[in-house]
Amino acid sequence: MIDALQFEFMRNALFAGFFASLICGVIGTFVVVNRLVFLGGGIAHAAYGGIGVAFFFGVPYIVGTLGFSLVAALVMTAVVLKAKSRADTFIGVLWAVGMAIGIILLDLTPGYNVNLMSFLFGSILAVPNSDIWWMLGLSILTISSAVYFYRDMLAISYDDEFAHLRGVPVNLLYFFFIGLIAVSIVIIIRVVGLILVIALLTIPPFIAEKYSNSLLMMMILSTLFAMIFNLVGLWLAYTFNLTSGATIILVATGGFFISMIIDYLLPSDLGISQG
Amino acid sequence: MSTPIVEVENVNFSYHGLTVLEDVSFSVQEKEFLAFIGPNGGGKTTLIKLLLGLLKPDSGKIRIYGTSPEKAAHRVGYVPQDVAINKAFPISVLDVVLMGRLRFHGKTRLSKFDKKAARNVLAELEMLDYQNRRIDDLSGGQKERVFIARALATDPDILVLDEPTASLDTTGRTELYAILKEINKTKTIIVVTHDMMVLSSYVSSVACVNRSVHYHDDAEITEEMIQEGYHCPVELIAHGIPHRILKTHEDEP
Repeated sequence: MIDALQFEFMRNALFAGFFASLICGVIGTFVVVNRLVFLGGGIAHAAYGGIGVAFFFGVPYIVGTLGFSLVAALVMTAVVLKAKSRADTFIGVLWAVGMAIGIILLDLTPGYNVNLMSFLFGSILAVPNSDIWWMLGLSILTISSAVYFYRDMLAISYDDEFAHLRGVPVNLLYFFFIGLIAVSIVIIIRVVGLILVIALLTIPPFIAEKYSNSLLMMMILSTLFAMIFNLVGLWLAYTFNLTSGATIILVATGGFFISMIIDYLLPSDLGISQG
Repeated sequence: MSTPIVEVENVNFSYHGLTVLEDVSFSVQEKEFLAFIGPNGGGKTTLIKLLLGLLKPDSGKIRIYGTSPEKAAHRVGYVPQDVAINKAFPISVLDVVLMGRLRFHGKTRLSKFDKKAARNVLAELEMLDYQNRRIDDLSGGQKERVFIARALATDPDILVLDEPTASLDTTGRTELYAILKEINKTKTIIVVTHDMMVLSSYVSSVACVNRSVHYHDDAEITEEMIQEGYHCPVELIAHGIPHRILKTHEDEP
């Protein structure tokens, strides 16, 4: 693997994996403890509509996807806050509509065909320098927001009613955090693909949750797990000449099952809560 | 009698077209220990949420310290009913209590002073040793103390508890009410409860909530009171009436 580092694409892949892990560790923790995995998937798929918009109207990719996903995310958040019981159905609808619009718009765009596979699994080995800067900026935004709003984030995730009574602007922060999820997903999709985003947002926090006694620890552990999965996945992909995104996901899934087996064999030794 | 700190006047509240509370009027004095009793679905939790400003009455007036519940929210400490809403959430005891210090000085970030205040409250409730434990790992009674600590960390004048003893055994209940009695020396307490056995020994007044509210400004629960006042099916073992179990009232007025 060391000799691979002489290639710029390999260094960029490692940077991309590093920043994606950092962002997913923080945002993914918020997604998992708030049971927003489905919403995250909805935003990610709706982003495909943004790709269609970008190509059809000839606007820059980042403007199309960011705009489309942010609008979809804010509409979904409004529904989650207003009618929690029907939120999943509504998210499912936006999820499908976003993808359909994307595909129809791409059909209607003359002479251009975007490879669906690269959107699903990304191309971490072909990340340009400009995307690394985008991810660095987003990492700084995500981490500073999480640090500044840590207590609020904790309170609205754990007991939003009590947070509201203490004067915390619960709904406003909800929109803010879900907006942050949307921005993160859009930028990371470009690098690692839609499926890897969802895997990185959910699997590391899920494993970390059991071994953490605070949200902060869960964020740190998730980031570490995500980094390990990325490194091991990239190494395997490089060594055996496999698709990098899919390899990283399989490594993460492997980690997920190993953690489940460990829990099963050592039920109470690790302070695992039975709920 | 001094001016009441809580005034409820002719309050009506309905939910999805169903009347939950009808023409409710009562008032609460400083340092009172008021118990809301009544059947499930009788509107006890709704009444509490109205007092907290989480819900708004369809008509009628609620004043707390002479102002609206929303404006008085910082003077009311709330211990919600289901404290296990978010199971498996990775949060320590100290972090739960620190929620009570949110926006205490109007700031988003907490200070060392807030941490000290949270630890002091935990120490008062003999829970300081557990401050770094995950809340999920505690027993029902210990959790309840943590949530009382969280409410006390807001430094309230009124403490509102929704069925704090629901998941506790008899010993746990007695201990909890002893704690509340101690808190009552400095604060007004409003508690929703099904624990009839503790009523007369701890509370100073009782309100039966079953769509309407019957308020009894009395520490003793007399037989007369029960006959006249309770219009709700409750089983009652009160100290005022030794070892007597009253049957369910079938005749609703």
